[in-house]
Amino acid sequence: MRQIIEGILIAFDSVRSNKLRSSLTILSIAIGIFAISGSTSAIDSLNSSVSRQLQEIGEYSFSITRNPKVSFSIGFRRFARRKPITYKLAKELQSELTTTSLVSVENSTTTSIKANTGITSDPDVEVTGVNEYYFTVNNTPIEDGRAISMEDVFNKQSVAVVGNDVVVKVFNGNNPLNQTITIGSTNYTIIGVLKSKGAVMGQSQDNVVIIPITTYNEKVNDNRFSSVDITIKAFSKPELIEIMDETTGILRSLRNVKPGEENDFELLSNENVSNQFSTFTSFISVFGAASGVIALIVAGVGIMNIMLVSVKERTKEIGIRKAVGATRTTILFQFVVEAITMCQIGGILGVSISYVGLLLLGHFTNIEIVFPINSILLSLLICTVLGSSFGLYPAWKASKLDPIEALRYE
Amino acid sequence: MNQPIIEIEHISKVYEMGSEEIFALRDVSLSIYPNEYVAIMGPSGSGKSTLMNMLGCLDTPSSGVYNFKGLDVNEMDDNDLATIRNKEIGFVFQTFNLLPRASSLRNVELPLIYAGESTTKRKQRAEEVLASVGLQDRMGHKPNELSGGQRQRVAIARALITNPAIILADEPTGNLDSKTGVEIMKLFHDLHSKGNTIILVTHEEDIARHAHRIVRLKDGLIESDEKNSQPTYYETI
Repeated sequence: MRQIIEGILIAFDSVRSNKLRSSLTILSIAIGIFAISGSTSAIDSLNSSVSRQLQEIGEYSFSITRNPKVSFSIGFRRFARRKPITYKLAKELQSELTTTSLVSVENSTTTSIKANTGITSDPDVEVTGVNEYYFTVNNTPIEDGRAISMEDVFNKQSVAVVGNDVVVKVFNGNNPLNQTITIGSTNYTIIGVLKSKGAVMGQSQDNVVIIPITTYNEKVNDNRFSSVDITIKAFSKPELIEIMDETTGILRSLRNVKPGEENDFELLSNENVSNQFSTFTSFISVFGAASGVIALIVAGVGIMNIMLVSVKERTKEIGIRKAVGATRTTILFQFVVEAITMCQIGGILGVSISYVGLLLLGHFTNIEIVFPINSILLSLLICTVLGSSFGLYPAWKASKLDPIEALRYE
Repeated sequence: MNQPIIEIEHISKVYEMGSEEIFALRDVSLSIYPNEYVAIMGPSGSGKSTLMNMLGCLDTPSSGVYNFKGLDVNEMDDNDLATIRNKEIGFVFQTFNLLPRASSLRNVELPLIYAGESTTKRKQRAEEVLASVGLQDRMGHKPNELSGGQRQRVAIARALITNPAIILADEPTGNLDSKTGVEIMKLFHDLHSKGNTIILVTHEEDIARHAHRIVRLKDGLIESDEKNSQPTYYETI
């Protein structure tokens, strides 16, 4: 223990007296550790953020979209030629499905709204047209008032359910029930307020106005060919698989997809999102690890180089230490500890940089940052291995020095 | 007379220079007893450095017997030699050989670090010996902040810290002006009076005359080994 402390003290001393040389080496280690720990920390944070979102989709739900919602592969152009999934198609699908399920249909746009308080919002309010199943399927509880009902949808009522941000922004936080908002030129009576969901991936989930999809199709977006999002909720895992199969069959026939052709729509369940996501994260981690390893090998060679020079320069010191009783093992140990210490300084620097980077990333994207305990441990381990492996040869050289020769060295 | 600390019998040291064999020491025998003050004298090339390295357990003889406190040095491995150097021998060098970036205190406590002594004990002992060589107010100074004489005092303090069996001084005044050299020789005189065993290696007759016994080497052989009945006292220089 005393030897370790002594070694560390000597190491700091030698780093101080060779500032430029040491800082370059430390920098290269910091870069390597940054690449490795940055990618592991980023993945940790993304994973926790994504799994939270997946929980929200619900366990037995899947969604149908024209284009992939989450895609990490290239080839977006081929999606552009796909036919839209219209509200009409959704209705047909709904009526043809035989398995018990809830089919939520929605379409949305962002626009500004005006309240009867006279306040107009920024044009960032998400106006969503939904059917009556939306609230159950998307796990969107009502806090006050009521949800959009089947009658509202059927009768194309001008009613709206609003999110908490809307209440705060255009109603100054006052009770908005039975007040009116204007979207375009239509007035909507507010019948309910959503329970606050907070923000996910930096997007507030509460800056929304929800109206019947029939009303939406008529007043907000009258393009009959715009695509809607369909989410279907089953009640068990086997049912989910059954419904997904059935849906695929129905949609293929409705959309005239020939046998052997690829689906021209996307089914997205919890499972295949997380599959796609893990492909993405493993890509990041392989890339991060590979560049980190290269940087670390370069750094390791740097460490060996600086240690060899250091041993040469301190030949006399080694002689003195041996004359007063340092054994070969002690000298070996001292230089290995010195190499490890230098690596650890670089490691701490690298982890700090990547943590600061993550905090900045979190600041701009609102991805919740996971404290990088994994990467700290990883960095400690890597630095120890790196220091001891690349420091060993110079340390061995130092320990083999003949004390008489070493003392005579000038 | 009691047991000798150092007892060498018929030792030789041979260096191979290409195909030639060079004898640095030939058949040297010497015994040194506790509280002796011995000067080993000789011109350069006489083998006195080789003998000193041998006595200091930095080197081992090619042939012959070396017993240190009754232990056979030839039988020892590197670690044993390091332990002997650490515990039994205090080196004082011509060029001081202090660690340049360490304070006096750190330099002096160095042997105790390798002896595995605790931090508090180390510091206490280092302060003690530094005070005993008159450097109580120079503990935090680094070698480059000290005069030559002060540096040599630090080196002597370092040699003393483990209470070694012998103090081995190699040309201790060689890098000092004559006034400072006298001060250092006075310090050796004091150490000897306190019971330390001192071996002084020098080529200067004046310095050797401080010792109570003078061993003269020439061409790797002992030329003479005699008592110095009238050693120089520091006051008289």
